[in-house]
Amino acid sequence: MTTAVLASPAGPRPFSLQRQYALLGMLLIAPTILVFCTVIVYPLITAIYLSLFSIYTPTLQGHWVGLQNFREMFGSAEFWTALRTNVIWTLGTLSLQVVFGVGTALLLNQNIWFRSLARSLILFPYFVSTVVAVLIWRWMLNDVYGIFNHALLQAGVVDMPVDWLGRMPNAMTSIILIGAWKYFPFVVIAVLARLQTIPPQLYEAATIDGAGVWGRFWDVTLPQLREVLVVIVLLRTIWDFKEFDLIYLLTGGGPVTSTQTLPLLVYKQAFGMNSMGTASTYAIGMLLVLLTFMVLYLSRVGRGSEPT
Amino acid sequence: MAGISIAKLCKAFGSVMAVKDLDLEIAEGEFVSLLGPSGCGKTTTLRMLAGLDFPTSGTISIADRVVNDLPPGKRDIAMVFQSYALYPHMTVAQNIAYPLRKRGVPRRERLVKVMDVVRLLQLETLVDRKPRHLSGGQQQRVALGRALVREPRVFLLDEPLSNLDAKLRAHMRAELIELHRRIGKTMVYVTHDQLEAMTMSDRIAVMQSGVLQQFGTPADVYERPANVFVADFIGTPSMTLFEGTLHRQADRLEARIGSLAISLPREHVAWTGGTDTLAIRLGVRAEDVFLGETGEPATVKLVEPTGHENIVLLTIHGMVVTARLAADARLRAGEAVRVGFRTSRLHIFDRDAGTRLNGDGPARVASFRSLQSIGQR
Amino acid sequence: MTRRSGAKSIVATIVTWSVVLATVFPLLWMVITSIKPQQELFTIPPMFWPRSVTLEHYRELLENTPFLKYFGHSLVIASSTTALVLVLGVLGAYSLVRFSYPGRERLALLVLFTYLLPSVVLVLPLYLLMVKVGVANTLLSLVIAYTTFSLPYALWLLRAFMAGTPEDLEWAALVDGASRLGAFFDVVLPQILPGIISTAVFTFIVGWNEYFYALVLVNSDSARPLTTGVMNMLITSFNIEWSLLMAASVMMSLPVIVIFVFLQSHLTRGFAASGVKG
Repeated sequence: MTTAVLASPAGPRPFSLQRQYALLGMLLIAPTILVFCTVIVYPLITAIYLSLFSIYTPTLQGHWVGLQNFREMFGSAEFWTALRTNVIWTLGTLSLQVVFGVGTALLLNQNIWFRSLARSLILFPYFVSTVVAVLIWRWMLNDVYGIFNHALLQAGVVDMPVDWLGRMPNAMTSIILIGAWKYFPFVVIAVLARLQTIPPQLYEAATIDGAGVWGRFWDVTLPQLREVLVVIVLLRTIWDFKEFDLIYLLTGGGPVTSTQTLPLLVYKQAFGMNSMGTASTYAIGMLLVLLTFMVLYLSRVGRGSEPT
Repeated sequence: MAGISIAKLCKAFGSVMAVKDLDLEIAEGEFVSLLGPSGCGKTTTLRMLAGLDFPTSGTISIADRVVNDLPPGKRDIAMVFQSYALYPHMTVAQNIAYPLRKRGVPRRERLVKVMDVVRLLQLETLVDRKPRHLSGGQQQRVALGRALVREPRVFLLDEPLSNLDAKLRAHMRAELIELHRRIGKTMVYVTHDQLEAMTMSDRIAVMQSGVLQQFGTPADVYERPANVFVADFIGTPSMTLFEGTLHRQADRLEARIGSLAISLPREHVAWTGGTDTLAIRLGVRAEDVFLGETGEPATVKLVEPTGHENIVLLTIHGMVVTARLAADARLRAGEAVRVGFRTSRLHIFDRDAGTRLNGDGPARVASFRSLQSIGQR
Repeated sequence: MTRRSGAKSIVATIVTWSVVLATVFPLLWMVITSIKPQQELFTIPPMFWPRSVTLEHYRELLENTPFLKYFGHSLVIASSTTALVLVLGVLGAYSLVRFSYPGRERLALLVLFTYLLPSVVLVLPLYLLMVKVGVANTLLSLVIAYTTFSLPYALWLLRAFMAGTPEDLEWAALVDGASRLGAFFDVVLPQILPGIISTAVFTFIVGWNEYFYALVLVNSDSARPLTTGVMNMLITSFNIEWSLLMAASVMMSLPVIVIFVFLQSHLTRGFAASGVKG
């Protein structure tokens, strides 16, 4: 990044040019800091504070309970189930996102007709609203009028319409697949950008050395992609883990609680069970899980997710 | 005194001293080069002059005014950058007009001034082009134009020619010299190319590792280098340096280099220290080596014909010396010859400190005014 | 890749376009469904191509539902958020990239960290804050909330764009007499214009599509955006009006489609610059 060329490590004199510049710099970032403090830092601290209370949501009245909420959380089967569900969902959809993402990026890197149009179209699932995506999929997966069931019935694969979202294991499978559909373009774009910078000489050298298609992929492409994939996996894991909209709107956490992930549990606690303190506690729990993951991941991978 | 005055300037980056205790007095109208290898502190010094970098300590004055706390725009300077730094989204005319816009010069006057500069630098056909459609040489002239239009007191140039090819560089060198002669303003020029510094400057400040090595005219630094570094850095081909000892005898001095002994008059060296023996380094320039009937036996090691002369490496007493000989000297590798040095032009340096020991006095820091009065400018 | 035989290219084309069409199919189906007359919608078995085309659902949507009102709300919220985030982000990114003051590095790290906070943690206290300040259930509350997650990402993007521009242009401007802010507006801003557009596009789309914060912070029609509005409007009734839902979906996706047609390169540029390329 840029070096601090307009500064010197030995302290600046008062009113010196250096000091003036530093003050200007601080002034420019001050509004951002203000916003941060108000809408991020303050709520974060409040969330921790709230988790020490038991609050009745509609009236916002509550009383102090200390660490009771946390004790209950650790002992709550629902919490651990939700955590497990969350992990299953995240791993499932993440692996599909990466596999389809890399595969599609490889395809889009080839010499195909109308390539730029293809590259544009592939982005649509990512940029369309979750609400729209959910509506479309629920329509397509409809047991009576949905086109999916119709196609399957026609092909003779099943002889009864399938309930995609109302029973297990279909519900989990469905949300994993739909999640993959919605978010894999993110992987495509990032990987494609990197693929385009791989010098073709590397492939040519490998071909001369006798590598076939799979060999070239394994020995040339993958090592080049390693850095991008590290960042992608980190980001997508975190974002998939905290996904609320998609699952809430597709299954509502059901059937019963079999697709209830932690974000949904928090929402239910706050507005379904009217227990805002508990909800806050669960949210903090979720944050701790994410932090633990981040620390473990980054230390294993050996570098931070620094922006360029 | 209107000019540039740098006093005890220091710049530290963390624990590294990029510039150490620099003292420099530049006269008004003088062309001074800051010369040295990369990392010597010349660019850092220039940036501090411009106000783009802040001194750790020391003062910078322009026209008797301390400018340490003045922003670059208020120092009455202009700068030409190595990369030209032309504003890519503006045309040539807009680039040149920009400083005037910032000063609030009204439009009509702006146009006049810009066109004056455009004509001076022969940029008429390019006024509406954007920088990416210009060649390197053209971009450089636009950068110059942008600096000229400000009519500043001081011009700062940061290796402006290093991105040009050799032929263009030679041409632009001549143009810059001519420009300086015409407008007569102070110019501070940073370069690592000693040929540029030698041909363009009134005086050269040679720097290394943040320390000023010598500040003098081109003749000064060439004929009376203040230390080994300057002696080695200035001049192509480089001065040949030998390690040896100097012995003071009754009526003369004897320099012993390996098995070679050279007799020198006593006045040749300003003797330091109480003993009769000094550890020295002896330097001889290539043009002070000649072949003849008499002299020390030597063999030709390598001949490099450059067209107008021959650069010859000679092995003498087991040591290699570079000689500059006439183009028509027919020499072949392995040939036996006889070599002599112009002893009056030998340079003697203290072996440890590297400082010049010759008796013609320490390297003179001639003042610009005195040079002007002699008409030596 | 070196030019291979035409056959390889054709195979690649077929495979790739199959993938693309399969991915895009649900969106195509959405459009087709929205222009089918009501009777054709619920045939068993469902037909693919419409036998006749109609805009009756769109008319129904625009005339008899609060859809247009929700659309207006979303437009205001997304635009305001984008404007606010751009102003704060551009100045903040400039500060982070070209200035030096104590704590600057730590700030950059903090920005990174907040980018990864789950909205679920922040939304409840935010809700309480809005109630306390008295802006609960207003458009303003959503603008403030959306800024929460848009600003960190915008800063990240803009920082990357700015760091990619050469510094000596600003130095030249300073020497030419510009103040630091003057140099910024005259020289830096024009250069990062593509980056600003990318950031604006991203921020707008994210704000347009946001559901969760709208769900928690607003439950009155006076401030409802499209996302919660559409879900609320049509699923509360006994029969799910799929025809209207599909028409609504198409219309909700309009800004995305428009951006895609005209500004698509800016979206991909945003991805690349954000450093995800590693």
